[in-house]
Parts: sequence; structure tokens; C-alpha cells
Amino acid sequence: MAAYITHPALSSLCKINCNINAIYSLISFSRRISISSVLSTSAVTTESEAAGQGVRGQRRSKRQAGEPRTERMTVDQDWTAVYPTAASFKPSTVPLPVRMGYPVKRGVPPAKKGNLELIKIPNFLHLTPVAIKKHCEALKQFCTEWPSALDSDEKCMKHFPIQVQSKEFVSAGLSLKNPDARIVTLKVKLSSLNLDDHARKKMIKLGEERYCKDTDTLTITTDSCPLRQQNYDYAMYLLTVLYHESWKTEAWEQEKTRADMEEYEWEDSPSQKNVLDTLLRMRPLGAKDEVEELLGQPAVQEYRDTMLRLKNEGETEENLHKYKEAVKKLFNI
Amino acid sequence: MASSCSQALKQHVCKSSTILRVHLQKSWPKRSFVLNSAADQQPAVSSPEEIVIPKKKTWSKEAVLQALASTVSRDPTASDYRLQDDPYLTPKTSSEFKLFSLSQESGKNAAKYFINTYPKYFQKDYAQPHIPCLMPETLEAQIEEVSEAALIERIHMRKVKAAVDLYDQLQQAGTPVSLDVTNQLLDLICFYGDSDPAQENVPEQRNEETEDVQDEPQTKKGRASKASDQLKAAWKENNNAERIFALLSEPNTHSYSALIRGMVKYGAYSKAFSTYTDLLNNRLKADVNTFNALITAAPEVKEKYNEKWELIVDLLKELAEQKIKPNLLTLNGVLKALRRCGTLGKSQAFPVLSEMKALSIDPSLASYNHLLGIFYKPGAPFLGQTDILQEVMNEVSGKSFTPQDPDDAQFFITAVRICLDTKDIEQAYSVHELLGVGENWRLLGNDLQQNIYYARFFSLLCMMENIDVMLKWYRDLVPSVYYPSSNIMRDLLQALDTDNRLDLIPQIWKDIKQLGHANRQKLVEDLLTLMAREKQDQEVQESFAECALDIKKMYDTGDRGKVIMSWTATSLSDVISVLLAAQRRQDAWEILKLFKTHNRVPSEELLNKFLTCVTESGEVNHAVELVQISAGFCLPETPKLIQRVQQEFQLSEQQKNILSDLEIQTFNSD
Repeated sequence: MAAYITHPALSSLCKINCNINAIYSLISFSRRISISSVLSTSAVTTESEAAGQGVRGQRRSKRQAGEPRTERMTVDQDWTAVYPTAASFKPSTVPLPVRMGYPVKRGVPPAKKGNLELIKIPNFLHLTPVAIKKHCEALKQFCTEWPSALDSDEKCMKHFPIQVQSKEFVSAGLSLKNPDARIVTLKVKLSSLNLDDHARKKMIKLGEERYCKDTDTLTITTDSCPLRQQNYDYAMYLLTVLYHESWKTEAWEQEKTRADMEEYEWEDSPSQKNVLDTLLRMRPLGAKDEVEELLGQPAVQEYRDTMLRLKNEGETEENLHKYKEAVKKLFNI
Repeated sequence: MASSCSQALKQHVCKSSTILRVHLQKSWPKRSFVLNSAADQQPAVSSPEEIVIPKKKTWSKEAVLQALASTVSRDPTASDYRLQDDPYLTPKTSSEFKLFSLSQESGKNAAKYFINTYPKYFQKDYAQPHIPCLMPETLEAQIEEVSEAALIERIHMRKVKAAVDLYDQLQQAGTPVSLDVTNQLLDLICFYGDSDPAQENVPEQRNEETEDVQDEPQTKKGRASKASDQLKAAWKENNNAERIFALLSEPNTHSYSALIRGMVKYGAYSKAFSTYTDLLNNRLKADVNTFNALITAAPEVKEKYNEKWELIVDLLKELAEQKIKPNLLTLNGVLKALRRCGTLGKSQAFPVLSEMKALSIDPSLASYNHLLGIFYKPGAPFLGQTDILQEVMNEVSGKSFTPQDPDDAQFFITAVRICLDTKDIEQAYSVHELLGVGENWRLLGNDLQQNIYYARFFSLLCMMENIDVMLKWYRDLVPSVYYPSSNIMRDLLQALDTDNRLDLIPQIWKDIKQLGHANRQKLVEDLLTLMAREKQDQEVQESFAECALDIKKMYDTGDRGKVIMSWTATSLSDVISVLLAAQRRQDAWEILKLFKTHNRVPSEELLNKFLTCVTESGEVNHAVELVQISAGFCLPETPKLIQRVQQEFQLSEQQKNILSDLEIQTFNSD
């Protein structure tokens, strides 16, 4: 009720425009008086009492806080009823003697009452295992049954090779919508797609950093459209386009140089030339050999294998050891 | 503070879902949320292994939230959900609760007032999706010119006087107003009784008791009439409704119906019946609402029971003749009227019910309430009628009712009153169980009705159940739902006494203090008497002593020199007995001195008891002082006391002299 009555007084005061300090102080004085006269009668008596209070000592007894709720909580109570939703930490509601904060001057961390540190951090008091179990039970009715034929991961991957992921957000704020909910991630294993060697290499090249070699997965993340449905359609479109493009062979792909190759090839490499050279020099003078014969020797083949392994897989102890063996065999050491 | 912190934290619960590439649907026939089947968008996947992918379920927007909400039960230590959960801000007494909830409402109303008075500052819409009730409402009518559209607008905004004025202006200007609009205007006038309705930014109309009276002188301006005031307004002669009705050239059923219902609502019963005969003379048909109104009015116009009943039967016959289907309100009206028909009501109630059931009208809680009212008149003796309540409870148990009639809210308090009168605890439990089913908690009524219900329930519990069950209910309901009155606390004390659990008294005293009943003389004195009656074990006695000292503080003068309660002789002696039993002689000694200051006379047994205690401790000075006090009061006990002291103590010369002086004094006064 007081709000109705103060409003005209305040609005009239706001309209007062003054530059001179003396008048300003006069108006602030009158504001105090006008507010006190405008409040309801009980409030006026408290004001005058409060004014006289400093002189005569505390006359009105302050309202005491009651005991915190934790005193009355039983040990076997239903905690999900106390914290049903996400709420900030309330020290009088949580019956745990938690402490948090920096212990100042060899003291202890401060207790929970009035502890801002405990209130600032997010808590998951509303998501105890019991609560989650109850929620799952309640949400089961929205779920349908899992198809019985899909009882292993391999079968799922076989029948449904494309995986689409998106996130939903729930928060209390001005708006229900969260812009991050539009992001769609599409994952597919290239082994499940019908690609030949050239198409596979081209797809990996087109995919650039979206392809992960270890898991053989192509991951397409789209967030350029405002709606999730649009992003999903765009991701599917990208997959289709990649697939079809990788099957096509363009005219300029013939110009693929050795530097563009993904893997190391031994044929036509400097290593092959070196081996040939060396072998030819090792031959006794006058003997004529065919290149293919030379290359067909098992030692050379072994050398080729170890070279490929070294270049493609990297230098490990084992690979280096095998290389050493191959070289030794090649030179009949 | 909690709300601002939660906003600052922005609690995100982020749930990642892996959606396989399927879209199908299935309908789910259960629960309160709406499930509809969506259109099938893509063909099913078929493969040699026959993977059958079930159809996707669809549900309404709130279904998930409702399902999650169903996992949450009531917290017995928390106060009302509207209030802040903080020990300082939780109300401890029922008046505090009222104050806090009303102040919250008043804050909301003040905010609404500002938004509606200065709408140009509140145009920006932050909420997504749009929340219409938070935007400013237009309070003034927009259309200014004299036209029918302007009249319709004013009718929608429920401005009775403005609408009537506009109608008159339209009539004077000669513009014909269509019958529909005139009927709407008649509806408006008859509903509000020809005066403007209460403004919406007045605090909620729960303050019907006298506690609000002291607010009246301060709130002279800006406070529109309360809804309760309006109902007391009577139907005035030749008011606007009748005038406009008379101006109508061809009133139809709707106009008659509006007029009759308005008359019945505001107390002009015989006029209503004469209007009805007009309607019949004009060979028009009435509708079901008219008949409902007339049935409600029937008990008012006739005096004798059978005349009332005959009138109602006539009305029902005419209803049937005009081939109008009766509805729930008809049934409730008939039953309500039967309450006032005495014994005739009892015989006719069940036939009425069965006829209505045959017409597939399901009785609501109001019908059951009227039934109970017919058979259980307050104050009348009960002769073999207890099974009616049983039958009613069997009918309604397990069902969830929606509010359909204003009298639905009376059912629970009537039922529990009957249980209290018949001392039937089992039925009371089933009534309470019904309250927990579905949406029935809404039908408990406002705060006053809630208080009445729980007061009766608790009285019954105190009377009938043993103390453990009683305490279990007590801890469950107090103080989160119900703040007991001092009478209930007295009943509780009696129950403690009956079950010999007096050791719980200090706890109950703490609750009494918290509830604000610590200044009720009768209650405190009862408490003291119970504590002082017998000697208890050591620790119990200790707690009693603490409690007694606490109570003593209540009797002291308050901060402003106001005396809250005054000592009586019994209360003082009780306190002293408790303290003596706990061996607190010093405290008891101080309280003994209070006898003199408050002009009360100690009893002889008290002094004897004190003397025994003093003998145990061997304090000779105290003994002599005791005798002196007793002599000061001129008690007839004094000679015996003197003798006892002389016998039991080793007295010094001085003390012997004092005693002999006193003896002579008392001997002389005898």
C-alpha cells in the first residue's frame, strides 16, 4: 500500500531540477520529511522511535531468526523433496557441516553460515543418485523399446553407420532458447562407405582436418544455419557431395606429383634408384641383368618392405632393426 | 538473494542426445499431458534381419516437466513454496504467515500497478517465447466514439458504469444496438449487480476476518470495494438492468436468463419468480441456468418444508417439459435446498441423486458436501447415521476432483467436522488421504478453511490416537502447513498427560514459544501444573527446571515496561516445586521472594516442602528466613513451622531469639 502513496511524492521530487548545493540540501531534507510523512502511521512511529532509540537504548526487541530447518530434518527424509530443482546453496536447508574458504591466520575454513563461496559455486544437490533414478523412472514412459534385432554395437554400426549428434540446453533465464543448440555433428566411418582406393584418398584429401586416421571417422560439424534442422540437412548434403565428388576423376588429377601422395611408394622413388645403382655396381663386370630380375629378388623385396614401413609408419625400434637386417641381406653381410 | 544468485550462475543442464536416423510415431494413451500422433515422414528401414523400428511418441510441451514434477513429494520441514526459504524469513506463527504472503502479493500488485500506469517504459520484450501476462495491460478503453464496438470493448473490460452510459448515449443517438450486445450488457450488469467490480490491484481477498479492520482507517483512498462487500449489496428497485430490459422490444431467453440470475444473486427472489412467470407468459423457453437460479431461490420464497420441496419439484417438472437437460449445478442446487427442508431432505436426497446419475451427471464434491449436510446436522444427536459418511468416502476415495462448484471447498471441513463429532478416526484418515489424491489439494479452500480443517483434524487426533502417532502427525504438519492455535496446544498437552509422556513437555514449550502462544496465561499455567505434579527422573527434572526458568522470563516485564502475564499463586508455587525437585535451591529462593513483590500468598504445603528441602541442605539461615516470610504473610502455618525449625535445626542464640519473638507474635495475633 505504501508503494502507491510514495510514488507521487517521488515523481514530483524527481522533476525538481536544481544546481545549487544549498537548495539541493534543502530538498534532500524536505525529501526525508516528506517520505516520513507519507509512509503509513505505524512506520512513522518506528522512525521516531528509531530516532529516540540511540538516546534511550534499544527499546524494541528485534525479531529473532528461528532455528534453521536442519534441526527438524530426520535422517531418513526424502532429500529429493528438499532440493527438487537446481537452487543455490542454502545453509539452513543443507544439513551437512561443510566448510569452504581460505583459512586465514592459521585458522580453519569458514563455516557454511553466510558463506558466499558456497553460494557462488554450482552445486548438484538436486541430482543425487536417488533423484536421477526417480527421474529415469518417470521418463521411461516417453521412451520406445529398443529394436530387438540390434543387440550389439557392430550390428548398430552395420545398419546405421551415420551418427548424428546435437545438444539440448535447459536453463532458467530470460530466454528458453540457447544458440548452441543448433550445432549438429555428423560422424561416419569411411570403411562403411562404398569407396575405391582413389575415391577414398580423394575424400580424405577433401575432408582435410575432419578426417581422423586412427578411428577412420569423418566428422562434419555444421553450425552456420540458425536452425538445427537446417544444419542437419546441410551436413547430409555435404556428405553426399563429398561422396560423389570423390568418385569423379578430374582431368587435372593426372598431374598428381610425388609430393601430393599420401603414402610413400617405393616404385620410382630415389630409394629404388639407389638400390638399383648399388646392385648394378655390385655385379661383376660384363654381366647383363634385367631391372625386373634385379628388383624381383627377395632381398630387394624385403628391403622395399622395410623402406615402406619406415616411411609410412615412422621410425620405431623394430622398423629400424628390420631395415638393418634388410640392408645386411642386400649386401650379403 | 537466492533468485538473483541463481540467475547469475545460469545453471545449465546440458543433455547430449544421440539420435539415430529414424523418424516414426506412436500415440501414448496415459497421463495428463497431451499426446498426439504426428505424421509419418520417412519410410521404415527394412532389412533381411527384420529390424523393427518403433514409432516415435509425441507429447505436449509440458509433458516432460509434469512427469519430472510427479517425482517430487512434499517436504515436511519447509514452509509454503511462495515464501523465501531462510530461517529469518520463515513465518513462525499464523499471523506472520498471513502477513508475509499478503505482503508478497501486495508487492506484486504494486509492480503491476506501475507497469500498467506507465506502459511506455515497459514495452521492450525480453522473454523468449513471449509471455503476455508480463506486458502492460491497457486499463482504459481505447475506442472513444459512440458506437457498438466501443460498447463491446467496455463490456470486455468490465466497466459497468461506462458501458451503461455508453448504451444510453447510443439509445439517445438513435443507433439501434443489436440484441446480442444488449444481452452481453445485461449479463455484465446482472453479474456485478450494477456497480463496478473491485480493481485487480487490490491485495487478494483473503482478509475477511477482523484482523484487517485496523487497516481500514489508513487506506481510505484508492481502495475499491471488496468482493465480499458487493455480495451484500441488494438488488435495487428499477436499477439499470431492469431499465434496459424494459427498453428491449423482444427480449429472448438469454435476456430473461441474465435478469433472473442477477435477481437471485442479489437477493430479489420474489422478483425473480415474477420475471419467470413473465417469461412463461411470453411463451419463451428458459435455459438450464435460469432453472438453476430459480431452484437456488426456491427455499427463500416459501416457509414450510413441503412447500419448498413442492416448488422445487414443480420447477424440475417444467425443466423436463421444456426438454432442457439439467447439469451438475442443478443437482447441487436441489441438494442445497434440501438441506433446508428438514426431514424431507433425508428421504428425498437419495432419489434425487439416483435420478441425476441416470442422466449421467456425476456428483462433485459439493453434492457430497450437501449430502453430508443433510444427514449430519451440527449439534443433532447421531442415531445410526454413521454409515452415510462411510458410503460417501467409499464413493470418492481415490478420485481426483476438479473445482466445478463454489461449494466444493466446503466438503473437507464438513467431512472432518463429522468425523470429529462422531469420533471416527478411520474416516478422518481416509478424508485426509483423499486430500492427497491428484488435484484435490486445491479444493481445501483458502487459509481460513485450511486452518479450520487442520484444527479439527488435530483435535480428533489428540482425542483418539496415542501419543506416538500424534507426534508423528505433529512433526509432519506443523509448522510447514498448519500453525496450531493455543487450544490445540492444550489438547496436545492433555494427550501427553494421558499417555504419560510428560518428558516431552520442554520440547512442546519450545514450539509454543515459537508459535507465539507463550503469552497465553491459561496455556502456560496448564503447562506449569503438569510439570509440577509429580517428581520425575533426574534428567527430565533438569529439563523441567530449565523450562520453568524460561517460563519465568515470560512473566517478567517486557522491553517497554508492558506486563505480558501476571503471576498467580498456583503458577508461582508450581515453578518453585519444579525447581526444588531439581535441587535448584537458589533459583527457588529468588522466586519465593517474588511472592511478596506480586502480592501473592504461598500455600502451606509449599512452605513445608521448602522447609524439607532446606533441612536437607542444612541452611539454618534460610530456615529462619522462611519462618520470617511465613510470619510476614500471617499464615496459620507459622507456629508449626517454628516448631519444626526448632526441632530440626541447630539454632544459634540470635536465631532462637528471633524465633521466640515470632512465636509470641503469632500467639498474640491468634
